Order: sequence, then C-alpha cells, then structure tokens
Amino acid sequence: MNNLALLLKKLIRNSAGHARYTIAITGLSLAVFLLLAAVQIQVNYNELLHSKSNQDSVANFLVINKVLTDANMGKTALEDAVINDIKAQSFTQSVGLLTPGRFKASIQSNSDRFPFYTDISFESVPKEFIDVSGTEWTWNEAAPYVPIIIPNMFLDFYNFQFSLSQDLPQLTPDIVKMIVFRVTVYGPKGTASFNGKIVGFSDRVSSMLVPSEFMEWGNRNFASETLKNPSRLIIRTKDPGDPALTNYLRKHQLTTDAEKTRFSKYRKVVDAVVAISGVTGALMLLFALLVFTLFIQLTIASCKEEVNLLIVLGAAPQQLSRFLMSRFFPANAWMIAVSFVALAILQYLMSRYLESRHIFVSGIISLYTLGAAILLALLIWWVNRKTIRDYIYPRS
Amino acid sequence: MLILNNLMPEPLRERLSGKESSIWNRSLQFATGEWIKITAPSGTGKTTLVHMMYALRKDYAGSILLHQTNIRSLDPDSLACVRQQQISIIFQDLKLFPHLTARENIELKRILQEPFCDAAQVTKMAEQLGIAGILDQPARICSYGEQQRICIIRALVQPFEWLIMDEPFSHLDIVNTKIAAALIAEECRKRKAGFVITDLDDDELFPYTQKLHL
Repeated sequence: MNNLALLLKKLIRNSAGHARYTIAITGLSLAVFLLLAAVQIQVNYNELLHSKSNQDSVANFLVINKVLTDANMGKTALEDAVINDIKAQSFTQSVGLLTPGRFKASIQSNSDRFPFYTDISFESVPKEFIDVSGTEWTWNEAAPYVPIIIPNMFLDFYNFQFSLSQDLPQLTPDIVKMIVFRVTVYGPKGTASFNGKIVGFSDRVSSMLVPSEFMEWGNRNFASETLKNPSRLIIRTKDPGDPALTNYLRKHQLTTDAEKTRFSKYRKVVDAVVAISGVTGALMLLFALLVFTLFIQLTIASCKEEVNLLIVLGAAPQQLSRFLMSRFFPANAWMIAVSFVALAILQYLMSRYLESRHIFVSGIISLYTLGAAILLALLIWWVNRKTIRDYIYPRS
Repeated sequence: MLILNNLMPEPLRERLSGKESSIWNRSLQFATGEWIKITAPSGTGKTTLVHMMYALRKDYAGSILLHQTNIRSLDPDSLACVRQQQISIIFQDLKLFPHLTARENIELKRILQEPFCDAAQVTKMAEQLGIAGILDQPARICSYGEQQRICIIRALVQPFEWLIMDEPFSHLDIVNTKIAAALIAEECRKRKAGFVITDLDDDELFPYTQKLHL
C-alpha cells in the first residue's frame, strides 16, 4: 500500500463496525455460493440427461410391453406395425428391441463352498441401452467368460431376503462380480458350457442381460422355438411424464415399468433444488448487496467531514473512489473466489461419490459456473463503484 | 492569467451594492507571477472572495477565468486537478485533519499528486518556520500559531501557479510572520508563481505588484 493509501486509510476508517462488515460479507458469500451452486447443479443435471455415460441415471428409458390379460395370454409379441408406430411417435428418441433367449439355460456354481444351481433365461438389448459402463460388453466363442448384467433388485432380493432365510452370506456388488460360475445352454443339438460372470447391475431392464453376440449365437445354435417378434422393447424418451406418451400407452394397451417413473421424480427433485437454490441465492444476493451498499454508505457517511475536506484540499473524487474501491472490492473478490473454490471441491467430492453409484458427472467445475462467478464479480464491482461514486461525487 | 469578471457574491449583494470596491463588480486581470495584496476590514467578503477563487462556492454573479477556463464550470475531477497543479491555498480557518500529525497533514497534500518537493524539504521548511519539533504531534494539540505554520508548509509542498492566502499570518507574531513570508516568497519565485493575499491591513511583507481594497 502506498503512502497516500495509508493516509487515506487513517482518515477513512471502518467506522461502520466490524460486526456489520462481517454480516455483509457472510451474507454475500452465502448468496454467491447458492447462485453458483444453482448453476453447477443445472450443468450437472444437463450432463446427466444428455451424456451417454449416464444413461442409467436420470435419462429416461422405458421398457414397454403389452398389458397381459386373459385374452392375450401367449400372444404378447409386439407386431412390426406396433413397433414402427412407437418409433414414429414424437416422444420416442430411440427404440431398442429386447431379444429373448429361445433356448434353455442354467447357471451353476463352480465352487462347492457356495453351491447353487438355477434354470435361467436371458435377454439382450442393443449396446447403447446398456446402463453399465466401463465393461467390455461383447462376446465370442473364444471369450473367457460370458458377461452378464443382472437387475439391481435381484441382488437386493438375495441380500435382504434369500440369504437371511437360507443362512447364506450377504454379498456386495463387488464380491458378486468376482464370482465365476458355469453357464450351460441346452438345445436339440446338445449342451454347451461357458464360464459366466456378473459384470454389472442394472436399474433399467428387469431381466438377465447378455451381449447380443451371445444371444444371436445361442438362438442360432440352440433355439427350440422358431423366431418370434419380441414381447418387449425399450425406448429412450425425453420426458417420461409426457402426457402423449402415457395416453399412447393406454390407448394401445401397452404398459411400462412403473419403476421408471423414479427417473422423472429425480428430475423434479433436481428442478426443485435448482429453483430453490437459485431463488434463495438471488434473494440473498439482493439483500446482501443492499446490506453491503448500506455498509459502504455508512462508512463514507461516518467520514463525511474527512471526505469533504479531502476534496476541498484537492483530492479528486476519482482518487477517493479508487481508494474506496480498493478498500471494499478485494474482500468481495476474495469471497467470490472462496465460494467458487469451495464449490469446486464439493463438485469433485460429489463426482467421486456419484461415481460409486454409477452416476457420472464431471469432477471439474463447469465453465458456466466460472462464467457466473465472473458475472457476479462484475455485478458486485459495479454496485460497489456506483454506491461509492454516488456518495462521493455529489459532495464535490 | 487570472481574470475576475464583474464578481458579486449573491448573499452579499445587498450589503455590498453601492459601496466603493476595487474588486466587486469590476473586471480585473492578474498576470501569472503577479503578487496581489487585497485589504479589507472584517465582514466585507475577503473569505468569500478567496472561496470563490478556489471554486469552493458558486453562488456569485460574474466569472473567474483561469487560462480562459471558467473555474465554476469545471467538473469535480478537473477542479481537483486545478487544485493539485495550479492553485494552492492557505485557509483562514486552517482546515487541518485534527487526528493526523502535522507531518501527515503536510504529507497528504505533498503526495496527492506527483510530489513537487521531497520529504526532506518538508523538514527543512518546518525547521525554517520553527515547528520541526511538533511535526509528529497530532495537529489538534498544536497551538494556533503552529497550526498556521503547518498550513503554510502544506500549501507550499505542491505545484502551483497561484497561491491564495486568506489572512495567513493572523496567529503569528511579527518575527514568525517575516520568516513565513520569506519562505512563501522563495517558493513562489521557485515556481514563478503569483499569489493573492488578503489581510485586514496594509503591509510591506512582499514586493506587491498590485494592492487592492475590497
């Protein structure tokens, strides 16, 4: 600080009180933090909606099948016309057919310590509808094992019901992924056995999924039935709450997994959080700016005589404004920087946490949030400058 | 060039109209470097005139031109520039910051713009005027005489073309008045600057180029 600034600091003291100053700065910090958080949450939300790697999170996928009634028992296959009609609807972004296995299969433990055997059937869906990332989702006859995705609820059912009643150990997803078991397929030509491994858990399709290569190979070599249209298909839609979609399903006697509405609930929650955080932040910013403006006015008013005499002696209002800006604005700039850094740390921690839940958001704070921080800094700079100038200039 | 053009302070119009004056309601031109003495009894508008010339008050008829610029029409920042570079002042009522020390009061004015003299020069002037010992005392505990000498030094540490003095020696004895006058004359010569000094009585402290009666 130069000598002039030191002398001015001695003259224009913080007579408005440190408590007021602390309150003003704390209020502004909170407001800035909330506003930046609202921007970042919105960015994260958009990333979740539109990023390929997050198709298992809040993106909207619906598995559709016919409503099973006494009349259509055994005839639930979806006709080509129905499939094409669904594809043509405005709410449909893409359609994937669920291919059912037309062969019998079983899985069996390789270990005597943990024996199990069960008949099973598989389904496959196109790769882009798979909600397990980081997995080599393919198969060929030389592959060391058949990758399988099971519904999350299977594991929940095992851990919280079956294991308790059978006195079996509970299993975490990671342990389940380590278990290698025997997959056997049966057909008119005989049987074939492979190693199988659970590679992920899905919320999207409530069946045991295998890569389409395995499904095609199985259906080609072991099918006991002739080729039929699929009974279920999966669609990606922008908005599962779209009335056109629900009306269409009802009209065509189709139904969907009620669980999927969970995703649209997420969306409502995110919308609410963004709105609350944004509105609260904006209101707080308004009040905090008002408090800070009053604080500046109070400081200048309490040094009214000194400011007047300085101007009489030849201090330029511009000089005084610059000095006062240097007194008030750096604290604001720091406050914005601290809020930004705190949010950046939170974003990183949150991304790490969500990653463990198979939800992928960037660990790095977004450029939009940085832009918002710069805009807020400019806004606060402008308010500071205007308040100071309004108070300094009319006195000259 | 400093031009006073038909000046008449509005609040004093009634009191001053009809009275003989060599300044009010007259056109005067002071060339740069002139040393002007204005004498007048108390209550005839000396301080009012000084404040008008320093653009502290604008409630007057007529105009004051400094290098063809009407000082009344200057915006606040341009006026500050004039006060930092062209016109310095010694106020009758001193106008010191009471809780700053004498040195800080002077220093503030010295560094408000590009300094005209260095800090050592300030000490030298203070020694010359006999106030070196009180430089680090708060101005509020200095005597009037000391405060007046602080104000004189404060006015002399900046660049100026005109020095305006409003009864600058009113609290000084004759010995200190002569010393202060010598210092003022020296600093004005250094800058080839003129001054306007107001006082109650006539004197021969300076070789005046004009003497006027308000």
